[in-house]
Amino acid sequence: MDHSPNKKITRRQFIKGAAAAATLPLFPKLLPPYGSLAHAAEEADMVIAKTGSPSQLLQAAMAPLGGMGRFVKKGQRVVIKANIAWARTPDQACTNNPDLMSALIKTCYDTGAKRVAVWDHTCDNYQFCFSRSGLKETAQKAGADIFSGHGRNVYKQVEVQKGRKLKTAEILRDVLEADVFINFPIPKQHFATELTLGMKNLIGIVWDMEQLHKIDLHQCIADINTIRKPDLVVMDAIRILTTNGPKGPGKTEDIGEVIVSPNIVAVDAYAAAFFKHPKTGKPFKPEEIKFVKNAYELGLGEINLSKVRMKKVSAT
Amino acid sequence: MKRAIPYLRRVIQALSFIFLLYLIIKTAFPLELKIPVDLYLRLDPFIGIVTLLTKKQVILRMLPAFGVLLFVFIFGNFFCGWFCPMGAAIDFFDRILFREKKRPKGFNDQPLRRLRYGVFIFSLASGLMAFQVMYLLDPVSLITRTLVISFYPPFIYAFNHFLPEIQNFLPKKLFIMSTIPMPLFKVNLLIFLFFVTILALGVIRKRFWCRYLCPLGTLFSIFSRFRVLKRFVTEDCTHCQSCVKGCPVGAIPEEAPQSYRKQDCISCFKCLECPPEAVSFRLSSPKWETVDGVSLSRRYALGSLAFGFASALVIKANPLQSESGLKNNRLIRPPGSLPEEKFVSVCTGCGECLKVCPNNALQSTLLEAGLAGLYIPRLVPRIGYCEEFCNYCGRICPTEAIRDLPIEEKRLLQMGVAHINKTRCIAWDTEKICLVCNEQCSYHAIVGDDKKRPIIKEEKCTGCGICENKCPVDGEAAIVVYASGVQKKIKPEPNNAKG
Repeated sequence: MDHSPNKKITRRQFIKGAAAAATLPLFPKLLPPYGSLAHAAEEADMVIAKTGSPSQLLQAAMAPLGGMGRFVKKGQRVVIKANIAWARTPDQACTNNPDLMSALIKTCYDTGAKRVAVWDHTCDNYQFCFSRSGLKETAQKAGADIFSGHGRNVYKQVEVQKGRKLKTAEILRDVLEADVFINFPIPKQHFATELTLGMKNLIGIVWDMEQLHKIDLHQCIADINTIRKPDLVVMDAIRILTTNGPKGPGKTEDIGEVIVSPNIVAVDAYAAAFFKHPKTGKPFKPEEIKFVKNAYELGLGEINLSKVRMKKVSAT
Repeated sequence: MKRAIPYLRRVIQALSFIFLLYLIIKTAFPLELKIPVDLYLRLDPFIGIVTLLTKKQVILRMLPAFGVLLFVFIFGNFFCGWFCPMGAAIDFFDRILFREKKRPKGFNDQPLRRLRYGVFIFSLASGLMAFQVMYLLDPVSLITRTLVISFYPPFIYAFNHFLPEIQNFLPKKLFIMSTIPMPLFKVNLLIFLFFVTILALGVIRKRFWCRYLCPLGTLFSIFSRFRVLKRFVTEDCTHCQSCVKGCPVGAIPEEAPQSYRKQDCISCFKCLECPPEAVSFRLSSPKWETVDGVSLSRRYALGSLAFGFASALVIKANPLQSESGLKNNRLIRPPGSLPEEKFVSVCTGCGECLKVCPNNALQSTLLEAGLAGLYIPRLVPRIGYCEEFCNYCGRICPTEAIRDLPIEEKRLLQMGVAHINKTRCIAWDTEKICLVCNEQCSYHAIVGDDKKRPIIKEEKCTGCGICENKCPVDGEAAIVVYASGVQKKIKPEPNNAKG
């Protein structure tokens, strides 16, 4: 075909194009989101994938949710808030599973993401966290940028309009400006708040994290989550830390699950049951974690799992 | 060719200084440079000899320094003229600030030249008594310390200040660059002033410091009397005095330019710029004799020696230094430090550990450890804490005042113990849940009671100070680390054994 710039459109081409432009908007359901033709249907709001390798788990979990293409569109900038807070090795389950992170980044790129950035404001020195957890290498191999929030210039002061106790906070600018924001937590035991779940992971987008303890930690965790709701939560429950959290090292348990959902409270409500209450010895109820309850009261999501369209799939 | 040598020297001086800067910049996290980042300090024979006296033990890392002395037998005092970064800085500032249009009136500098021998004898005597304040004058230690403590933080400050301004000009989202956490050192101003004073002395004479004070130069002077490469002047000399004027250390006497004081010559070869080309350097057999040496009288030498011993004794009798005396329990030493008394006498205060510390935890002391402990590192947890899996300070310490311990050993070393100030602690004082200290502690040394208030397990605490550093209470932390005197190993935890 001739590609010379002077070539005019033929009448036939013009009519075809005009017809398509006029009629396609009439059938919005026919237009599938980019790159997700295979899993266009949304069968569930929360999917739990079990048994399989990390990348299989992620793939299996995303399918019933409508595929990654439902969340990440072509040319978009994706920010992943990972948990790289501590200078621990991957097998100690204090930081994200590297294979799962690699799979998550690759899936984002496969659906057409322009750039994927992994962020965390680490508690230990960021250089040691990044190298010991192996996540810097993983992220860079998968083609993502990995950033640490150790400099104040990457934050932006925002007002927490829906916050009950927290009125202003300095939040990572990139999180606020990203097209897609993925929360990528790992559930852990935590002495002060009982558990570290998806919502508590977002403490790591705040500049002066320690100050939140001075106000009211549980309410602050809920308040922070009102600022930018993650478009997708990918919970890494392949191996969880059950004692000495959140820094560890402690006892770990291989759950082997990946939970994905756009609803962060539901994910936390589900993941709470992985852990046993220290007093009763029974699995935690979602209401027993105060920040989950506070978030539910703020209208951030559904705490009652019976009201959530949940689906369990096996990856293999 | 002959005339090119002085230019070559200037280039090498500049490169040497830039190389030192490069090494200092590389004295940071991953620390993967093949050459030791403290190379210059390891090549300093003055530090080598004095640490040998104070530690009374051979320090393997300092052995290359004695190799340098062998070169001095051949080339004379070449280090000062060609490689010394301090000399390079002094030469540079002498050149741009104190250009001598007219030659200053000659004065008899014999007493001043004698001074540095006195200083040298003093430092050897006090070194024998394990008092090392003379490291303050060692040029390599001095320039490293000045660059790290006084010049590195302002550089970072400027970078952090201009970074957002530059980013505003660039298209958004092109790249993300964080500012660098600002390194803070308490004694920076004092060290800066000391450095400026040394440079300002150039107004009296070029290289005033090198001629009359530098103890390393003195050491080289003594050895370069035996130098093999010597200056010779043919009979073509016209007494034009150009070499006398040009000599940066004034080693050529005005009245007899054929001769020179070989002990003071720094082998810069500037006198090769002789108009009638009468000057040459050739190898010849070593001789002790020289012209116009300092008359180091017996009285002067013994006086310096006695003064050295006396000052060391006075220092030892000071309560801050004496064993039974008052101990400053906020003086936490870096992990793996030698016992306090040894540490104070072996540490040169070069500031390398301050630079390498990833959390800016190490600070130079001023007078907290007494005059003998000037500029020696201490851990200040409120500014920075000791990173669990880092042993960099031990890895780069040139005199092994901080021992090079494997990570596993270092992380179980108790430097101090944390204590809670219950009247300030959020959890003890109010109903709020805080426990930042518990969550940050790497060693499970802080546990919570049933009301979620922190309690210290002293036997597990290493005194790394992360709890004090992260404590959200304003001002002084509610949890404070106190030094435990002698550093000792703590028991590894069963599930903590492999980090």
